[in-house]
This record gives sequence, structure tokens and C-alpha cells, in this order.
Amino acid sequence: MAHKDFRGFLAAIESSGDLVTINDEVDWDQELSGIGRLGCERNGPAFLFTNIKDYGSRIRVAANPIATWRRVAVALNLPADTPLRRLYQVYAEREDKAIPPILVNDGACKDVIIPGDKVDLFDLPVPMVHEGDGGRYLGTWDLVVSKDAKSDWVNWGMYRFMVHNERLLTGYPRPTSHLGKMLLEGYVPQGRPMPIAIVIGADLPSHIAAAATFRMSGNEADLAGGLGERPVELIKCETSDLYVPASAEMVIEAEIYPDRVAQEGPYGEYPGYRSGEMGNAICARVTAITHRRDPILTLDTTGFMDSSATTTSISGAIAIKRRLERHDVPVVEVYVPPEGGVHLAVVSVRRGGAEVAQKVVEVLTARRALMSKIIIVDEDVDVFNMAAVIHAFATKCHPDRGTHITRYEGRANALTPAYSLEERIARSGATVAFDATWPPQWPAETTPIRATLDSMYAPDVQRRVLQRWKTLGL
Amino acid sequence: MATEYETFVRDRSRILSGREVVLTLRDLSPGRKKYRGVNVRAVVSRPPQSGEPVLWIRSVVGLKDSKPCSVRIIEELPEAFAAEPYSDFFDVMEKAERR
Repeated sequence: MAHKDFRGFLAAIESSGDLVTINDEVDWDQELSGIGRLGCERNGPAFLFTNIKDYGSRIRVAANPIATWRRVAVALNLPADTPLRRLYQVYAEREDKAIPPILVNDGACKDVIIPGDKVDLFDLPVPMVHEGDGGRYLGTWDLVVSKDAKSDWVNWGMYRFMVHNERLLTGYPRPTSHLGKMLLEGYVPQGRPMPIAIVIGADLPSHIAAAATFRMSGNEADLAGGLGERPVELIKCETSDLYVPASAEMVIEAEIYPDRVAQEGPYGEYPGYRSGEMGNAICARVTAITHRRDPILTLDTTGFMDSSATTTSISGAIAIKRRLERHDVPVVEVYVPPEGGVHLAVVSVRRGGAEVAQKVVEVLTARRALMSKIIIVDEDVDVFNMAAVIHAFATKCHPDRGTHITRYEGRANALTPAYSLEERIARSGATVAFDATWPPQWPAETTPIRATLDSMYAPDVQRRVLQRWKTLGL
Repeated sequence: MATEYETFVRDRSRILSGREVVLTLRDLSPGRKKYRGVNVRAVVSRPPQSGEPVLWIRSVVGLKDSKPCSVRIIEELPEAFAAEPYSDFFDVMEKAERR
């Protein structure tokens, strides 16, 4: 079973050598997050900052909980050196074994209760994540709970939230996100404020579930239970009927206005850029804050190779595989490399060709289109081996016939740096599939043969070479 | 009132027109409340006018202008503007100017 709370996870990554605690004073204004950013860029450890300028030691900040595969493994209660393919397998297996949450009356997240009229968000050491951001971001590694106005569907998502003033937050759950759809279809037409709870520092499976690519109307609390192999304990909010993980470090209860906006962004986002997607956001007024004693805020130093990159790599790949299977694409494996900023997927298929490539790109852009590049390879290419993928892409993808482009309006990823400002505002974009498979109509006798040990050598030679390799101690 | 602010703009010419404009300013005073947002009706000047708070303009990707401005705040506005979620915030501010 996974660790029951965030502190248990921190203890585990400290034991595995994946956490560094910094007790010297660090400035919340860029310095703290700068350390975290470098950690992401150098595949470094997570950080726990215990002494923050202007704030002292009362509230700590933990940065980059699962920005490496080692820490993802620990979060799932696996050995830190678990191979990536195995991580994907475990995630997929546990995703299929949902465990519903249980409701409790007491929880550590209620140790301290601050009513709305006493809230001052500037009492929290919220980091200025990047120089030039629109403000200080409280929600970077969070879990935002919302409920559909017309049904029992409760959504958990990971969405960014910025401090505007003492009680006002602005945020950017995309309008195409589950929360965005709930708000626009259920609350705005009725002029009703939408209650939300921004949960910080819950158990890791809960955050992974919130960040996961998961089906519409799916219950992420059940998914979190499955991923952690234990039910998540939920407790009711103080100012709404929403339920939140009881062990969380902090819960910020708020209401999204159905009829007001304030400035949000820009923000250096997960694709690794600040793309200028500001100015199309939501705003929420805080109604209460509850937290543990000596709480720990969390930070994902958003950008290249952040914590959301690993999470969405796994869940996004599994979601893509399941969707392609539902549409009868002969998919074998899918990998979303975290270096691609959730813009690139690698799909291996039993049988490739133009028809399959076209189908893949159409299926994966039907509702919302987050991936802008898909590389399709034959099943003899290991999708987790990017050297092999690049080799296949560079050599087998026909520069003309091998590219399959689909364009769309209104559902493109506004964070995609390649789009012009006008395209980002209009959410107008395109996705290309690179077909790096052999055309199925090519006869075997003229199809090129790969010059690798496993393809161009007799089986007994391969066996002898591998044996010799071993005896040489290589 | 702070002595230094920043603001994010899509269209510099609107801000630097010399007429009253609606802006969101971020207070750059050091300390816990740094980056606090405030909506204002104000006049922006470049070069900066003496006695007025300094204003730094940033683009929609956060790029900071090399030359500062100054800002004369005429009135503080409510913390949020009337508009549906996801409305274009720059359009909303322009509409607020016309009221």
C-alpha cells in the first residue's frame, strides 16, 4: 500500500536518497523555485525548504514531489529503481482496480480552521515561481475538487491558481477541462458560484489521480484508491458539500464566480515555456482555509521535466492506448516521453501504414487535442527506447507520404508554444502523425531489413554474441 | 500607495496613449504582500513623471520593457470585473474603460 499521507511519502523519499532538506533561509521570490527548477532540469532530488524569507519556519515548502521516475515508483510504493515499463504496467493494473474512498469525521487537515473573513493568502509562503510570471502561484501541485451541477459526478483535477489579493485567487483550468466544462455548462448559465476545494499536500496517489488523464465522469477518488491500494479517507469541507482527502496538509475552500474575472497569468507552464496564454481565466473567492499543524505547502516548479510530466506520461499514455483500442487501432504500446512536455506520443502498432496513421491522429484529436505530434512505429521498435524511436522516425517516415496532419478549431492546446498568439487565443491548432511504419502493401522481399543484432544476424550467432558479451563482463 | 508596480499588456499603444486606462497593477513593494494585484483607473507616462510611482510594463509572455514608465492612479476599482469566466480579460478591461 502507498503511504497514507504526504509526510509518509516525504519520509520514504528521504530514505531512498531522493529528498534534500534545506534549512538555510531561502527567498520565496524566485530563489526557492529556482532551486526546484534546476532540480527538474538535472534530474535532481525533491526539496524540502524549512526556513523561508519573510515567513520563517512555521510553514515549509516541498518542491517537485515526483519529477523523477524514482519518486513516482516510491509514490506507488514500489522500489525506487523499478524499470519504467514496469511502472507503466503497475499503473495500468491498478487503474483497473478502483477502490472507493471512505468518509471520516476527523482528519489532520482540520487541525486549524481559518474562516473566510480571517483569510489572508499572503500569510502563506506562496512562491514566485518564475521571474515575469503574472503573480505568485499557490496551485501548482494541487488537487482541485469540484462537483457537477447536474449530477453526482465529482471531479479531481490539477489546475494552476494564482494569488490576486488577500482572498481572491485566479486560475486557469482550461475551458475544455472537466472543471471548465462543469463551470460553463452547469453553473454559469444559472449564475451560481461553483464551490471548489484546492487541496495541497494530500497522499501522492490522490495527486497522481488528479493530474491523470482520466475519462469524463470518472471518479478520481476511486482511481486514487486503486493506485494507492487503499481507500482514500475523505472529510467534508467547512463551507461546501465537497469532500477532500482528510490527511491533506492544507485545503483552500473557495467559490468560482460565475460572472466575474480578474487577471491571471502569464505563467511558465508544463510544456516548458511561458506562452502568453493569459487573460482567459476564472476567479475564485476563498471561503475558508483548513490545515494541519505546521503545514507543508507543495510546489511543482512547472516547466521542462516537472512533476506533471511524469504523471501525465503514464496516465496519458494509458489513456491513449485504451482509446485507440476502443477504435480498433492495432496498438501494442504507447509511451509519452516526459521530455516532450505532453506534446509528443509514441505509438507502436502490429500493422501500420497510412490508414492506421490517419485513424490514430483522428481518434486522438476528436474531443480535445493536447498532443501535437505522434510518432507511429512498428511493434519491433521499443517505444520506451527513444534512441530506437528516433532511428525509426528518421529512417522510415516518408517526408511526404508519412505525415498525416489534422487541423481543428476551438479545442487546441492554448499552451502549445508553436502556435501563434492568435492561434493560442482562438485555440486553433493541428496535430501531425509521423508514420514510421513500413507500408503494409510493401512485399517482404523488398522491404528493408534493419541492420541490428536482433534483425540481421542468424539466431545462433545472436545467441553466441550475447553469451560472449556476458563472459566479457560487458 | 506603493512606489513601484508592474502590469501586463497585450497592446502597449493603449497603455501609453496618455489617456485614462484600466489596468491591473502588481505591487512590487518588498515583503509578504509583494505581487498583490489591484485594479485601477490610471494614466501611464513614459518617460516617468517625477513624484509618481514607477511602472514596469511586461508583455503577455512576461517580457519586461527595458524602459520604465510612471503611473498616476486616479481610482481603485473592485477586485474583479463583471464578465463571464474565460472572457478575454484585455477586452473586459477596455470595456471597463468606457463606463
